[in-house]
Formats: sequence, structure tokens, C-alpha cells
Amino acid sequence: MVFIFGINFPEQTLVKRSLETFYGIGPKVSRGIMARFHIFPWAKVGSLKNAQVLDLTAELSNMKIENDLRREVQDNIRRLKDMGTYRGRRHAMGLPVRGQRTRSQIKTARKLNKIERGGFGRA
Amino acid sequence: MSSSTCLRRFAKSSLERAVQPSIASRSLISPQASCFSTSAPRHALPTLAKASKGPPPKKGSTLILKKKKAPAKAAGRPPAPGDRKAMRKRIVLSNNNALEVAGLQDLKETDALSGISEGQVKGLPEDVVDALRAMEAFKTNQGWKLFRRPATLIRKETTELAGLLKQAEEEKKTVRRVFIGDRMSGKSTLLLQSLSMGFLRNWVVINLPEAYDIVNAHTEYKPLPGSHPTQYTQDVYTANFLSQIVKANKSILENTQITTNPSLPLPLPAKASLKQLAELGIANVETSWPVFVALWKELTQPGLPPVMLALDGLAHAMRNSEYLSAQVKPIHAHDLTIIRHFVDHLSGKATLPNGGAILAATTSSNNPRVPAFEFSMQVAEAKRYHPDNIPQWNPYKNVDQRVIECLKDVEVLKLNGLSKEEARSIMEYYAASGMLRAKVDDKFVTEKWSLAGMGNIGELERAAVRLRI
Repeated sequence: MVFIFGINFPEQTLVKRSLETFYGIGPKVSRGIMARFHIFPWAKVGSLKNAQVLDLTAELSNMKIENDLRREVQDNIRRLKDMGTYRGRRHAMGLPVRGQRTRSQIKTARKLNKIERGGFGRA
Repeated sequence: MSSSTCLRRFAKSSLERAVQPSIASRSLISPQASCFSTSAPRHALPTLAKASKGPPPKKGSTLILKKKKAPAKAAGRPPAPGDRKAMRKRIVLSNNNALEVAGLQDLKETDALSGISEGQVKGLPEDVVDALRAMEAFKTNQGWKLFRRPATLIRKETTELAGLLKQAEEEKKTVRRVFIGDRMSGKSTLLLQSLSMGFLRNWVVINLPEAYDIVNAHTEYKPLPGSHPTQYTQDVYTANFLSQIVKANKSILENTQITTNPSLPLPLPAKASLKQLAELGIANVETSWPVFVALWKELTQPGLPPVMLALDGLAHAMRNSEYLSAQVKPIHAHDLTIIRHFVDHLSGKATLPNGGAILAATTSSNNPRVPAFEFSMQVAEAKRYHPDNIPQWNPYKNVDQRVIECLKDVEVLKLNGLSKEEARSIMEYYAASGMLRAKVDDKFVTEKWSLAGMGNIGELERAAVRLRI
């Protein structure tokens, strides 16, 4: 098991995959981080050197990810709602925000548009 | 007139429906809806309410009409991790069901570089086979598994190459050649033949089996300290490469002592052999690149045998690799140290003081589109085969200048189809192995030769041995 940014990952996990478990890191960001420390795309967590793990953790702790990012997103939505804007209201109702039709196909809005967007963090 | 008939028919049909409903409802035949009358459905028995299974589908979600089937469980255990890959990469060099060919002679040290065995099928000696296997010169898609033991046809191009190698050996020249040709025309096999000639003549033979494996970002990489512009070393790959070199050239490396005084990060015993030097790099992966550089320096000292350096899949070495630099920009393959080493020798920037050969084969099976490389090959081909018609690069298009520079004065060896005599010789070998059950006469040879696109050897094998029509 390898600790990256306070989370334990099994050794056979891909570094890319383990990075992308953090809220706020997707394919593009993980690619950039790995390139920065010269980690090849298929590297497994177990093959990382200690220095690389520390580098990664340091890099992640300087980024706005996980709860900080969640809080920012939620604050933005809450601000809209508190101002009483249409967008805020639509977020609160779980409906599309940008004028899409609501007769069909609003699964994404139902899933994402809520005040507590992004959940409450890792269990 | 016709319209009135139609109307009458409609009236009739609706009348019939009005009479039917009671019978229909009793016989529980589901009433047919008509577009002209709604009475029949209205008279029908009320349909039984379906037993409700859970809540109705959520709004906006897709209605799933089919029942989900549990996926069929595979019988037995799935293969253990790594087994599938091992199976895929397995090299089989012998077929117990094939007959032993009676008159098959081995390629010998004395006649390997002479043209006397042209047009004959020659067996590869066992130690050469071991060395080739260690070098990963055999490919899975080649037909070695069909015959009793590995043997190759010495074709016209092989003889031509043997002549060049002989010249290189005698005059201590560096031969640089790129093998081009159609798909399955035998480029990799010609590379394998030249490697085996090198082994037979006791050269130091070094082979990079697949350029694709170097550039596809499946092994570790790191910047080479002190290089400008930055180059990148691949330690794990280099260590494996060193171990292949040691396995294939054991006797030469064991019997040669270090003469220069390489500055390595790790201590080396006094009067160490080259094998010990290489093993240092294999054991300590992070020193593998400096060790390889030191080894190469040793191998190019005067008095040592010629060196053969070969690479398959050249096009992959002429484009951006899958690796990324710290600035998240793709790294050009020429910035990877191993490729750089090869390319420097191929372009003639670095030479081999003891003579030797730098050989590369292009590939048509896993072939990336690299316009600059393709153009360079066209130019090189034109220079050799029709010098009055040399193509020009479209000046309005960007070109990878590094590739053009590197392949500026490289020479090519084009593999064409076999001649009919060569085709006959190899087909007689097929027949003697019991893999071809037909009488090999002129008619049969011509038929298969034409079927194989004027003697393309891969197609010929396919038509004669693999396909059973």
C-alpha cells in the first residue's frame, strides 16, 4: 500500500487511476502531473520511488482539489441561490440551468444540479 | 367511381365490426383496432391490471424492455495475470508433426558471407537460434512454428547483403541500410538473416527488436542529467537490452577485458570483462545507460570484431514518442537516448571503427504515418533505383527536419518478390517438410507464385502452407 495525499492505494493500481480518484483531477490534469514528474502513463503505484510519491503529495497539496474545490463550487451555487437568481433556483430544484428543455433528457441536471454539488467528500 | 366503391367497403367493414364484438369478447380474442371505428375496443373486456413491479420508470430515464440476463459464467478459471501475454508473445520454433528435411544443410561460418548458397534453403545452427531468440529476432507472426526447425531461404537480397557485410568485415567499413518493401515481403526475416550471419562470423550483434516498444511509453523514463536539449533515458528498457546483449554475445563479452577506464557511479573490479561491466548495469537499473555507453565505447576499441546494430520498425523511431516532457509536450523519439544512439549511427554521424553494419527494417503491419520518413524513403529508393526521377518535398508543407537530416544519405535495400527459381526452392522445402502435399512442378509453382502477388514470400507461404482450400 502506498500513501498519496493521505489516501492508501494498493500497489498494483495505476498512478493515473489513483490520481483521478481525487475530486478535481481528471484525465488532463493527471496527465500533466505525471508528465511533470516523469512518470510514464502505465506506471503502477508500487513502482514509484519514495521521492516521487513525496513530490506527488506535495504537488497535490498545493492544488485546489477535494474538499476545498467542493466548497468553492458549492459556495458559488449557494451565492446564486442567496441572491435569488434564476440559476440559483434551478440549481436548487435540480433542473437544467441554461435554458434547456425539460420535457425529456435532463438526467445530468437531476444528477448534478444541487446545492451540495459534489457530495461531502470521501467516506 | 372508385371513390364510391371504397366508401361502400368502409361502411361494410364497420358494420361487420358492430356485429362481431360480443363474440369476440367471449372468445377472448384481442380486438383489432380499426382506424375507422372505436366500438370494438370499447366493447372488449377490461384488461387485467398488470401486477406492478416497483415504481414506474423515473422521468427522463430510458425504458428498459428486455430483461437483464446474468452474464454467462466462463467455465474454469481465467488465466493467471501475465499468462495471456505470455501466450501471445510465445515463440514456437519447432513443429513435431513436420518432417525432418533430409538434405537440409546448416548455414556455416565459412559460406555465410559468400554467395554460393543463393537460392537454397539453409538451416540455422542451434547456437545461432539461441542467440536470435535471446535477441527477440523471431516474430510471432512468422511461420517458424510450421516446420521442424528454423531454416531460411537465401534469396537474392540476402546474397547482396552478405556481399556488403563481407566488404565491411574486410575493409572495416560501416554499412548502413534500410530494408523496405511490401507487406510480408520478408524485411524482418532479412534482418534476422543478417543477424545470424553476424553471429556466424563472430561479430558483436546487437538488436533492438521493436522500435515501437521503445517509444510507446510503457517503460520508465527520466531526463538525462547534463544533456541539452534534454534527452531521456529508459532505465528498465536499457537494463533489459543489456541483458539481451550479454545473452546473445556471451563468449565475446566474457573474453574481452576492459581497456578504457569508464567513470561509472559504481565500482568495477580491476581487469573486469565486458560481461561484468554489462552485468553491473543489469543489476543496478539506474546505472544502465552509463554502463551501455561505456560498453559501446569498449566495443569500438581497435582490435575487436565488427559490430552489427539492427532495429525493426524504423518509422516509429522517426516521430514523436508517447512520452511527455515536464512541459507536457510530446518527446521526439530522437530525444530518447537509445533511439538517438541508433539514429546517430544510421545517419552516419557516428561510425564504427572496427567496421560493421547498421541495419533497419521498416514495417508495414504496424505502420504509423510519418510523412517525412515516407518521403525520405521514397527519395532513397529513387536515388538507388531510378535516379532520374527524384521526388521533391512540397514546399508548402511542414516537414520534420530532424527526420530528413537523419535519413539524408541513407541507402535502402528493396525487397521484391521471389524469382520463380527461389519460389520453387522454398516450395520444395515446404513439400519435404510435409507441410505442402502437392507435386511441386512448374505449373504448381507458377500458380502459387502468381497467387502470391509475383512471389511475395509471406503470401507464398500463406498460399502454399497455411491456407487449406
